[in-house]
Amino acid sequence: MGDVAGLVAAAARGDQEAWNALVSRYAGLVWAVARSFRLDDADAGDVSQTCWLRLVEHLGRLRDPERVGAWLATTARNEAMRILRRSGRQVPVGDGHELDVADASQPAPDRGVLTAERDEVLWRAFESLPARCRALLRVLMADPPPTYEEVSAALDMPIGSIGPTRGRCLERLRKNAELAGITVDAGDSA
Amino acid sequence: MDERDRTAGAGRNDESGDPMSTLSALAARMDPVPPAVLEAARATFTWRTIDAELAELAFDSTFSDLALAGVRGGELGPRLLTFEAPQLTVELEVSEVGDARRFVGQLVPPTAAELEIRHPSGATPVTADELGRFSADRIPAGPVSVRVVRSGHDPVETDWITV
Repeated sequence: MGDVAGLVAAAARGDQEAWNALVSRYAGLVWAVARSFRLDDADAGDVSQTCWLRLVEHLGRLRDPERVGAWLATTARNEAMRILRRSGRQVPVGDGHELDVADASQPAPDRGVLTAERDEVLWRAFESLPARCRALLRVLMADPPPTYEEVSAALDMPIGSIGPTRGRCLERLRKNAELAGITVDAGDSA
Repeated sequence: MDERDRTAGAGRNDESGDPMSTLSALAARMDPVPPAVLEAARATFTWRTIDAELAELAFDSTFSDLALAGVRGGELGPRLLTFEAPQLTVELEVSEVGDARRFVGQLVPPTAAELEIRHPSGATPVTADELGRFSADRIPAGPVSVRVVRSGHDPVETDWITV
């Protein structure tokens, strides 16, 4: 999907277009990592901004520019944990609160009522998964899709366990969705 | 191909019927990256500085605090941060005051300096005394970086972190 190391090198030399290409490539992943910690819009926005500010200062000194995606995923994870440290906050344990994320977007004007309802139901089924499944699937849903290394960095999870855990979590989601009245093909765990 | 580089998710346009592509498309509808966040990310490029040394984050009490506090948070006290550049260390103690932060800091080796506590909405100027001590109130919560200017030295800027 393009020469990431080249984009990093060009951005380090002051090329705004190369920087914009990095943002296009990885902003979805950074957002997904922040959301995987159940952060709201403001906090997820802070995580995003800190990640990009930090990258700007590290452009010329990354050990492995090709792996900047994993670097950003690790940074997003650490920044999300810093926000959770704030007094009075608890590490979320997946007890609901679907609405704050669902409220963050509006249905597209041309979407039929049935599609919008199905989306809401499936999204709630996803939000009601146990914390670890919800976090894994949220990161996997990033656009463009993350690599195994990026997922491993985002969740502090061994690469080898990603596939099997994904399979188990998709199966749980399929069951949650069925209970809510919609069918989702869970596929296999490959 | 190195396994680390294989794609773990599935694109929205993946035609294989893979459930992850359904979920990716769902997330794109239900929780896309807000345009303002994308715009802010592109705009952070203007923060790029080429005249300063970077003082990297060497210690953050956040992670030991989280381990000690357990699931139920409680009074954790001030947060301790250490940033290291080759010839300067910046020690920071950050306390929460509502939505703002109070900074108490120390430069090592101790030296007078002019500081800027940078945040996305601006910068707060602060002076460090001859013993390298400084403090600042009402710093907005969020991303922050401290820029240190000492006479006879290149400026030093700390890693951006979220406070």
